[in-house]
Amino acid sequence: MPLLELAGITKDYRLGKTFVHALRGLDLTIEQGEIVALMGPSGSGKSTLMHILGALDTPTSGTAAFDGQSLQQLSENQLVTLRGRKVGFVFQTFNLVPTLSAQKNVELPMIFLGVPKRKRAARAKELLTKVGLADRIRHKPNELSGGERQRVAIARALANNPEIILADEPTGNLDTETGGTILELLRRLSVDDGRTVVLVTHDPEAVRIAGRVIRLRDGRTVEETANA
Amino acid sequence: MLRDFLVLAGSSILHRKIRSWLTVIGVFIGITAVVALISVGLGLERTITDEVAKVFGVDTFVLAPRGSFGAARTSEGSDQYALDLEWLRTLDGVLTAAAVRQRTAFVQGQPGPEGRLAQGFLPVMGLSPELITSFSSFVGSLEVEPGGRLFQEADRVVAVLGREVATRLRVDAGQTIVIAGDADKPEITFTVVGILATADDGRPQQGFTSGMPASATTIYIPYDTMESLWGPAQDVLVTLVRTAPGRDVDEVANRAQAELRARGSRVTAITYSDISSAIGTVTSTVSAFLAGIAGISLLVGGVGVMNTMFTSVLERTKEIGIMKAVGAKNSHILSIFVIESGMMGLVGGIVGTLLGLGLSAVASAIIGRMFDVRIAVVASPVLITATLGGSFLLGAVAGLWPARRASKLPVVDALRYE
Ligand SMILES: Nc1ncnc2c1ncn2[C@@H]1O[C@H](COP(=O)(O)OP(=O)(O)OP(=O)(O)O)[C@@H](O)[C@H]1O
Ligand SMILES: [Mg+2]
Repeated sequence: MPLLELAGITKDYRLGKTFVHALRGLDLTIEQGEIVALMGPSGSGKSTLMHILGALDTPTSGTAAFDGQSLQQLSENQLVTLRGRKVGFVFQTFNLVPTLSAQKNVELPMIFLGVPKRKRAARAKELLTKVGLADRIRHKPNELSGGERQRVAIARALANNPEIILADEPTGNLDTETGGTILELLRRLSVDDGRTVVLVTHDPEAVRIAGRVIRLRDGRTVEETANA
Repeated sequence: MLRDFLVLAGSSILHRKIRSWLTVIGVFIGITAVVALISVGLGLERTITDEVAKVFGVDTFVLAPRGSFGAARTSEGSDQYALDLEWLRTLDGVLTAAAVRQRTAFVQGQPGPEGRLAQGFLPVMGLSPELITSFSSFVGSLEVEPGGRLFQEADRVVAVLGREVATRLRVDAGQTIVIAGDADKPEITFTVVGILATADDGRPQQGFTSGMPASATTIYIPYDTMESLWGPAQDVLVTLVRTAPGRDVDEVANRAQAELRARGSRVTAITYSDISSAIGTVTSTVSAFLAGIAGISLLVGGVGVMNTMFTSVLERTKEIGIMKAVGAKNSHILSIFVIESGMMGLVGGIVGTLLGLGLSAVASAIIGRMFDVRIAVVASPVLITATLGGSFLLGAVAGLWPARRASKLPVVDALRYE
């Protein structure tokens, strides 16, 4: 059974009297443990697709299933729990809470799952160390560089040991070296722990770790290539 | 999880220090006013009831003319009533009783320089000697001029005079006056045993606690002697009754009132609890009225909290989206925001309570100085807990509506908010 299965997905945004068709009938299947790279020009619907994959947003039409469970049938609170336990998001715009330190930001998903304080703090420090931010634990987001914020966001995405990591341009703000470390981290999550990774990227380096590349144009998949 | 929400709410409050403080100020102004007014009210009430208790004693009741006290006060109530004091003293539960009766009588004193007798119609009061021996707190500290004395229980035809009457009648202690009673009774010659001293400032002495100020214009004679002049008492002003130890004052007072009324005395029994509840009614009405006015400023504080919370929700739309994206339920968001507004309310409550108590202490001191009494400073634990609980609630309720709106935002829309 595939981890994620999308069929006939459309997403329309209404702007006054006109509609923006962000996704126009998209089919996509993602297997457990694979790394998928999503590519496509700006405005082609990559972020919209990621939101639907992560149960953050609902499609206008079409069906989406996670682990064989149809997302349409879940209540709002069940969706929240699914997101909290199984999905790790790395947003294109980081989306860190400005009033909280790096450590607290990483702890946030664990707080809502009710993880005890000690365990939470230890895990947050461990993850921040992993992304190379051991000495930035107490910094607030506005005291961090763009790349450092990116890495805090990645650490946060990993907090609850999610089954799938959805990363929207995770290396977009990083130099090649740091970007390489992050990509290696994501690759290991897939290879060693069997976790699924979907990443939106324009970065050829990132494409290299992907098992599959999917190209979007105008809300549809136009090309699927298997990477060797 | 609650602890974590407290931390999250707290960090958001601290992040917006100035605005949070302004909101808190809005709350504590109202709380200060309410706490100060209620505390001063309670202090006044405590002071008055303490003073009453000091004069009255909890084992004593007063028989006043019917209709002169409480809700049943009527204009037709007469000022004087009939009384059989000896019978009252034998009533079950009564330890001792003392009464005061009053008449206006034709009185003759000593001759003046031209040999004319000083004389006139003057108020004559019959006092039970027990009034002085057993109920001294009602009488205050009566003092006579040097060389005189007050009368005692064995005395019959003696009188004590106010300073003014004494001068008018040209008598000193040791001399005599003649009082005429009813036409069918003989005139009686009284020996003046003492003249009431006047206070240093020339006014007749009058303690603060005195239920019955000594008058410089009155002639005082023993209660029992009044009967020889005017017959059995029909003209009693007031009676004080002390109950036997361990007896229920209110029960004895009610029985005395009922039986005296049956015997034709138009009296009302007033106990300490009657007086203190009457005082309580008045002071708590006044306090409630003042607190109501102060409550309006509390309402303004509440609207201030609501306003702050709305702004905060708007500002943090994105943050709310983030929290929901990483696993926060709507109820989590609701709790965080309600805790945040409740905490601002609570801080306002704490500051307001402290300031309010301080203010009431200052106000009590000022009022006390104005009226020359010591006003009790009351820090009622009930008031303090109620205020703190209430201020948290005020904040929480004011934050509820904005918090609900925050929790209902769709995740993606919230995330997109800039
Ligand atoms: N809330 C919205 N309201 C209206 N239109 C929207 C909304 N969100 C996205 N769109 C439109 O949908 C289309 C797809 O947007 P999306 O963010 O998915 O693009 P993208 O592929 O992620 O682009 P980029 O590479 O620049 O991030 C765009 O044309 C965008 O203008
Ligand atoms: Mg995008």
